[in-house]
Amino acid sequence: MRRVFLTLGALALCGGIAAAAVVGFGLYNVSARQGHLPGVEWVVHTAFKQSVRLRAPEAKEVPGDIGNADRIKLGALHFQGACAFCHSVPGQSRSATAQAMNPPPPHISEAVAKWEPQHMFWIVEQGVKMSGMPHWPADGRGDEIWSVVAYLNAVPDMTAQDQTALTGDGSGAARCSACHGEGGKSINSYVPRLDILTSDQITQALLQYRDGTRPSGIMQEAAAGLTDAQIDRIAGRYGAAQAVSDQAADKTQTDHAGAGLAMRGTDAVPACTQCHGPGRAADAPIAPVLAGQSQAYMESQLKLWRDGHRGGGVRANLMAKAAQDLSDAEIAAVAEWFAGLDHAADAQ
Amino acid sequence: MTRFKRPTRTRTLVALAGVLLMSACGEGRQSVLNPSGRDALLLYDLALVMFVGALVLWLLVGGLFVYVTRINPREMSRGLAEGLIIGGGVLFPVVLLGGLLVYSLPLMQAPREADEGMRVHITAEQWWWRVEYELPDGSRVTSANELRLPVGRRTGLILNAHRVIHAFWVPALGGKADMIPGRETYLSFLPEEAGTYRGQCAEFCGASHALMAFEAVVMEPDDFAAWLDAEAQEATPPQSEEATRGAQVFAREGCGSCHTVRGTQALGKVGPDLTHVGGRVSLGAGILGAEAPDFVNWIAHTESLKPEVAMPSYDHLSPDDLAALAAYLGGLE
Repeated sequence: MRRVFLTLGALALCGGIAAAAVVGFGLYNVSARQGHLPGVEWVVHTAFKQSVRLRAPEAKEVPGDIGNADRIKLGALHFQGACAFCHSVPGQSRSATAQAMNPPPPHISEAVAKWEPQHMFWIVEQGVKMSGMPHWPADGRGDEIWSVVAYLNAVPDMTAQDQTALTGDGSGAARCSACHGEGGKSINSYVPRLDILTSDQITQALLQYRDGTRPSGIMQEAAAGLTDAQIDRIAGRYGAAQAVSDQAADKTQTDHAGAGLAMRGTDAVPACTQCHGPGRAADAPIAPVLAGQSQAYMESQLKLWRDGHRGGGVRANLMAKAAQDLSDAEIAAVAEWFAGLDHAADAQ
Repeated sequence: MTRFKRPTRTRTLVALAGVLLMSACGEGRQSVLNPSGRDALLLYDLALVMFVGALVLWLLVGGLFVYVTRINPREMSRGLAEGLIIGGGVLFPVVLLGGLLVYSLPLMQAPREADEGMRVHITAEQWWWRVEYELPDGSRVTSANELRLPVGRRTGLILNAHRVIHAFWVPALGGKADMIPGRETYLSFLPEEAGTYRGQCAEFCGASHALMAFEAVVMEPDDFAAWLDAEAQEATPPQSEEATRGAQVFAREGCGSCHTVRGTQALGKVGPDLTHVGGRVSLGAGILGAEAPDFVNWIAHTESLKPEVAMPSYDHLSPDDLAALAAYLGGLE
């Protein structure tokens, strides 16, 4: 018996020395060109697929608006900027460089074919270790990931023309207006309007996206490379110099479910309009105007505030506390009410 | 021997009474030993009678026991022994305790009986008090963190709670009552001495439970009527330049989305009504004074003064803005 243990011990020691030699002397060839030994690729790929299936959320977590055209478009535009280099888009072929990766990233049409939306959500959120697939760069932004998944879910049925309709022909719309619309007047419910913000508000948001204090996989990607001068230019181009102040609170739709909550609050929720208008005091220009703002955007932002995933300026704590008791239904009602207000009613 | 013992026992009683009296003196603003209302007095008398009764019972039965076992442990006749056991051990306690029961049972209803006087609705929030005075016409005057009562009149308190269980207690004025979300409880006070007493939440209700107090101000009936009349008015407009600027800061920072200042755009219901906050004797539900530095301190450091409170700290405001706010709020008398 003793001999058996000694033998095993000696073998283990030899194995350890051999492993140390492989690592220490660079004996393992990490070349991507070289590829894997036979069978390894199958093992690794199977481990990947099974891991995703084990950990993905349940199918009932898939949001009901996964087929929403605005959501698909937002996902498509982000995919175009952040993902298409490796995975390409429907109707186009992959970059030769990306194909030389090991493992080679699959063309998106091929990649999405095998997965349900909840699986794609997990892959986009978590990334895949040692494959070159990154995880989502911001925490707590499942709402953004579902927008990307909305696009991925639409990919199998898309033609090259559909893709062009979503993201343009690449001939170069300005970066911001691709999503935020001409002049920042976004007509996409999931993308905020910039034309009703002040330049200062836009500057602050971009600075926070750039340094990651306001988590957003989409906007951190867009703002990462901006210089201070570029941020100033963008803020000046899209934002108003002066805060828009309201005049016409009486023009608002007061029989809406969200109106009472927004204008008067409850014993747990402060009234939105005291800070955001319409009807706010003329010298209360600090908080952004919400009249006419994009509905789905406001809904997702309110949930971020409530759930503690939203960064902001010195007054961020005010909004976090204001939103902490909102229910999903209240959020939906308030967002719908503000979105339905005529922005002109809030402008001078 | 008995002659030697009597002065000792008397001295013990005097000393005991002295201890009781000592704790009753000092401020006594939050003490059951300083009863300043009919109901508190009832409770005080009840406690005293019970205490004295228990003391007499303990001393006599215990004394008898010590007497027959230690002081005079001689053999006694069966008749005497049975007499002592049945008389001292059964009959006497039954008579005394029965007497105490007969005395105390009728008291149980008294502090809770409904009444013709004014009614005040008090809702416990985390961690402050919403106080609404019901006027004869049924309308309500809203105030907060302070209970004003007329001396010599019984006032009914209708108690409720917003989210969690609290308990309402002003030891110097009366008993204690639970405050339960979704269920009204009732208490009434008949203050007999004008003065300022302190109330405290008496049921653990979260992080800042210990910081949930209030002042109960008992006033002469005429003073009270004048005060209630003033409390029902809308807020006084800012009187100084600084106060006017404070009102602007108040609007700019959105304070009105949580607080009401009647007569202005501020109509929030989340936090205390501030229409007459400048006339109150404390801030932050009985934890700070009500001078300008207290306002500044409270507004800038709310969350460290009262952990987990719903109001955010406005520590981003400049000292100038804070001073202006203090001038405005302090002027809301």
